[in-house]
Amino acid sequence: MLSRRSFLALSGAMMTAPSWATITQQDPNATLYASAYSLNKKEHFFGVFDSKGDILWAAPLSDRAHAPVIHPNQSIIGIVARRPGFYIDFFDVSSNQRIKRITPNKDHHFYGHALFTDDGVHLITQENHYTTGQGKIVVRNWPSGNIIQSYSSNGIGPHESVFLDQHVLVIANGGLMTHPDEDRKILNLDTMKPNVTYLSLKDGSIINQASHEEELHQLSIRHLDVNEQGTVALGFQYQGDIRDQVPLLGLSRVNQSHIEYLPIPEDIRIRFKQYCGSVCFDKSGEVLAISTPKGGLVAYWHIDSKTFLGIENCRDVCGLVATDNAHEFLLTSGTGVQLASNPVQNSNKMIKKHTNIHWDNHFRHIKT
Amino acid sequence: MKCFPKLIALAIGATTPLLVSAGQWEGPLNGIVSTVIVKGYDTYSASSKILQQQSNALCSSPSEQTLHAAQTAFQTNALDWQQVQWLNFGPVTYFMRYYAFEYWPDKKGVTQRQLRALSQGDPSVMDAPKFWTSASIAVRGLTAVESLLYHPDFAPTQSANHCRLLEKVTSHHFESADAVAKQWQEAKAQDWVFDEEGTGFDPEEVALEQFLQQWIEHMSAVKDAKLETPIGYNGRENLKLAEFYRSDLSLKAIQKNLQSYREIYHAGSPSLYDLAKQINPTLAEKLNQQLTQNVKLSLLLPSNYFHSDQHDDRVALAKPLVKSISSSQSYLASMVTQLGFQIGFNSRDGD
Repeated sequence: MLSRRSFLALSGAMMTAPSWATITQQDPNATLYASAYSLNKKEHFFGVFDSKGDILWAAPLSDRAHAPVIHPNQSIIGIVARRPGFYIDFFDVSSNQRIKRITPNKDHHFYGHALFTDDGVHLITQENHYTTGQGKIVVRNWPSGNIIQSYSSNGIGPHESVFLDQHVLVIANGGLMTHPDEDRKILNLDTMKPNVTYLSLKDGSIINQASHEEELHQLSIRHLDVNEQGTVALGFQYQGDIRDQVPLLGLSRVNQSHIEYLPIPEDIRIRFKQYCGSVCFDKSGEVLAISTPKGGLVAYWHIDSKTFLGIENCRDVCGLVATDNAHEFLLTSGTGVQLASNPVQNSNKMIKKHTNIHWDNHFRHIKT
Repeated sequence: MKCFPKLIALAIGATTPLLVSAGQWEGPLNGIVSTVIVKGYDTYSASSKILQQQSNALCSSPSEQTLHAAQTAFQTNALDWQQVQWLNFGPVTYFMRYYAFEYWPDKKGVTQRQLRALSQGDPSVMDAPKFWTSASIAVRGLTAVESLLYHPDFAPTQSANHCRLLEKVTSHHFESADAVAKQWQEAKAQDWVFDEEGTGFDPEEVALEQFLQQWIEHMSAVKDAKLETPIGYNGRENLKLAEFYRSDLSLKAIQKNLQSYREIYHAGSPSLYDLAKQINPTLAEKLNQQLTQNVKLSLLLPSNYFHSDQHDDRVALAKPLVKSISSSQSYLASMVTQLGFQIGFNSRDGD
């Protein structure tokens, strides 16, 4: 709960209409990205970099973090702690201040991802009520952080969610039951049942839900993205045997009861090592990219034709965002690489390699 | 809380090369390839050939004597595999050969089930041109051979079908081992890394980085899957989870793995040990001594250590070795970091 003093201070910060100009003085049209990164095992940061790969702003963090969350119309960015996460830190880039820390309610933790509604009025988090293991979708007012609604995610382990539209949230219920006392140990490996749930944000009702066949019940649905046509792409992480031949990515739609698995050449599928990192559509929504840090590559598909387009080799790659150009993605890796890749033009361009930086799992495009 | 101003952020972002110089990794990389991998696969291929020949001899003249000869050939071959098992890289990754050479652990008994089906089915299907390259990895290698030679469900001295199956599996197994050996003879490690266009990519460095990552991961597997899990170090004992328990090779396999680690560390000129000594002599020596200590401690375990009717104090007996391997893991991870390698920031610690 905010104190009166901090609320007034925070409200004051909002009223000054924060902008990105502080860090984009030389180029008001600069494209910005936010990501957590580490220098080593002890030094961790949350940073903003531009399209040249230069870091323009950074704030120290106490530990590695997972995914950024970007306010849609203020120069405020947040970073969600890694699972089991107990804070989201928000920074006002224009005033160079950490303005707020949101923590989960008692017996809850975050999963590493969060998102703002389009109007920036609400913050949505995926949470684990770890005494019951039930997944939660929690809606908070921004900037107060007060919880105004809490829905069941209708599954266990809601890792990431995206908006299908302003009233429907698509949730990747990964299926993994964990308890922070046992870090990330999976407590329900034999019974896990991941699903993708389309949740009404008006009343918390299920609009649609799809899951795998029983034989694939250990195929955790972990990350997802949606394009403007309403196609939801899903990236999986298989908790079963490394040798099992299982699908690693799928498509879902709000009016479709099953998950459709995308074809993938077997020699590439093997390289994934049963693990998808980030899932991302390009600006046009025609091309899908899925990263696998374990496999050291990003794989691409043309969605309408479900055609596998090829791969971009990049060791320890995980971060993926669509650039402002159709079919083009920006990739970040634990080896410090920032790489632009266009699978339709078969082109790539190294933006920068920071040899002393490890880019963390996910990064986000900032709409300035 | 005040955040970093732009200048400091820029300073953090500035690129600072570590130890980079052309050909820097040539010594250890070439040394490991020639001393450990090429030689290791040559030996493995040769003993696979003997295993095939002894299987043929068994089937031509079934007897306890020829069965014993085939079992001996199997044991030699399975231990030769331990020399190269640490590296899932390059030619062994194609056609799932790595997992086919040894299908372990097999918690669901897939190998037995599929072997039974094969032995009861039409034997001519196994003669189809691509049968073995597309067959299940559970029946293509050492785990299947061990079952056919040791599992009570199979009797190659009495059943022509079982023996025929053994001949087919060992023939395919030899072809795979030989193919990997030949590919290593004809190529360099750098040929097997995936090119990262436009990223200032150094294939020599990347190859060695992958070797080091595989070594680190294999060391974990030896401690966890091969030793701790079957003896119930952190849970319930289940000795049937031990590697090659039917042929009584579980301990010998661990010993062979630990011996191969010293060879990796000292292969080439300069070796990883030599390079580590230049950067941190204390750490280099600690790792060296710990790798030797691992070998000694594994040799101190009684030869019947994994026998089910022996040793109520199995966990206590393992403790010194478990601790020693844990220390090696820490020293190896530190050495790798100090040499300037970035091992698996995301790939080994994601979500």
